[in-house]
Amino acid sequence: MNVVEINNLTKYYGKERGIIDVSFNVEEKEIFGFIGPNGAGKSTTIRTLLALIYPTSGSAKIFGKDCIKYGPEIKKEIGYLPSEVFYYDKMKVIDLLKYSASFYKKDCSKRIRELADTMDLNLNKKIDDLSFGNKKKVGIVQGLLHEPKLIILDEPTSGLDPLMQQKFFELLQEENQKGATILFSSHILGEVQRMCNRVAIIKEGKIIQLEKISALQENNYKKIRVQTIASLDPNYFNIAGVSNLAVSQNMISFLFKGNINSIMKKISEIEIINVWVEEPDLEEIFLHFYEKGA
Amino acid sequence: MNMFLHELKAYRKSTITWTFTLVGLIILLLSMFPAISEEAETFKKLMEGFPEGIRLALGLAVENIGSILGFYSYIFLYVSLFGAIQAMILGVSILSKEVREKTADFLLTKPVTRTQIVTSKLMAAFTSLLITNVFYLGAATMMVSLVETKEYSTKIFLLLSLTLFFLQLIFLALGIIVSIAVPKIKSVLSISLGTVFAFFIIGALVSTTGDDALRYLTPFKYFDFAYIMQNSSYESSFMMVGIAFIVIAITASYLIYSKRDIHAV
Repeated sequence: MNVVEINNLTKYYGKERGIIDVSFNVEEKEIFGFIGPNGAGKSTTIRTLLALIYPTSGSAKIFGKDCIKYGPEIKKEIGYLPSEVFYYDKMKVIDLLKYSASFYKKDCSKRIRELADTMDLNLNKKIDDLSFGNKKKVGIVQGLLHEPKLIILDEPTSGLDPLMQQKFFELLQEENQKGATILFSSHILGEVQRMCNRVAIIKEGKIIQLEKISALQENNYKKIRVQTIASLDPNYFNIAGVSNLAVSQNMISFLFKGNINSIMKKISEIEIINVWVEEPDLEEIFLHFYEKGA
Repeated sequence: MNMFLHELKAYRKSTITWTFTLVGLIILLLSMFPAISEEAETFKKLMEGFPEGIRLALGLAVENIGSILGFYSYIFLYVSLFGAIQAMILGVSILSKEVREKTADFLLTKPVTRTQIVTSKLMAAFTSLLITNVFYLGAATMMVSLVETKEYSTKIFLLLSLTLFFLQLIFLALGIIVSIAVPKIKSVLSISLGTVFAFFIIGALVSTTGDDALRYLTPFKYFDFAYIMQNSSYESSFMMVGIAFIVIAITASYLIYSKRDIHAV
């Protein structure tokens, strides 16, 4: 079952592009990554899903219901954490969380305590007095306190120290195991790679790739480095399937996609000192996508 | 209900401050009445020395400054000025503050409709004004009975006093529609004060012309105190215009707010 279904979603801000023809699905109990650089349209997509903005054309469904028409109803089961959190400054953390909980017709006080304990958050401080990272924690508790079935995160980790990020990811994985579906937008590929099952890559408002993380990494991409005895013609490895070619003295590195035999033959024909064949991380594949298009 | 209470709490301080301001103002002004009514003759002469235009602009009806209702209707101009400022600030800020304080994302990702949000905020603003008016009316009634020993019409006194509430509702509606029409409001205070004073000055200018049609231009002139005192009622045509304006402005606010994109910060 698809928890989120996005069909040809397009949003223009006046004449300015927001997103064009975005389509993808997020399946139940999936952790779905949504990556792209700033300004690519991640937030636009998410804000449309939450009916904060209205699409120019196309539509999106959450839990099988139109996200604009049934917005208030489906939001009962959505937890949202924006990239930058702002709350009523004069309120105490606990009051804000209680206010937030009052929108959902269930008792969340136990969950609030649990989450605050996990995230090491002081509930009796004023929001005004909190650091950026601590405000972010309020945001996390606020987004999860009603145990939503769909968690939408828009660049959630900025401002959290590595230890807290770790805790936060554990928390998300726990929620996921309990049955929550997670849509995770980020421009930090490491975290997406770590967390997600599938990923959509967005660039300049358009989805350019939609794949399983494993497929994206396998997909015959190899990261190859070769150390040679003598310096080599820089174009020696410039064959079909090679990208991100970099030559510095006797070190040559590149990404390769295609029949692995052809590149092995190429390597065997020269005198080498060492060779590394690795799985590229998402970051490198990602850069590759971007450069290709540019 | 939770949103209504939250808003009411958020405006608690402003409600208290404004209530005290208006109560203090009316106590101060009415306490001057005994002195002025004693010296009414001298005061009239002094006033007659002023050019007629200025007297009209200030709303000074010289003949009845000595009677409590005449005096009250004169000082009421300033009470209504303060009241209008309170209502306008409330109207301008109540919807725009979510955007300014960047809390719109919080509220609008909750399972509520935008209509519910506007309704809660409107009701909270309305309640805030109602509280101010109840206390104002209480203080004014008490002061009037203290300073005036002669008989006066309670009905006219109430009619005069209630114009404060009507005027505030008009400015509340105006504030809300302004806050929705102007995309980004940086300073609520300057936009509110500017608008209210503009209407106040228009009101003063209209007074000097004596042209009834021009009175439709400013809510400050929808209630003619001389007319109320003479007829013990409001002028229905102006009441209609006031009510129509409130209804249109509020309806438009609901419609625009429901269709609006809430942009990221």
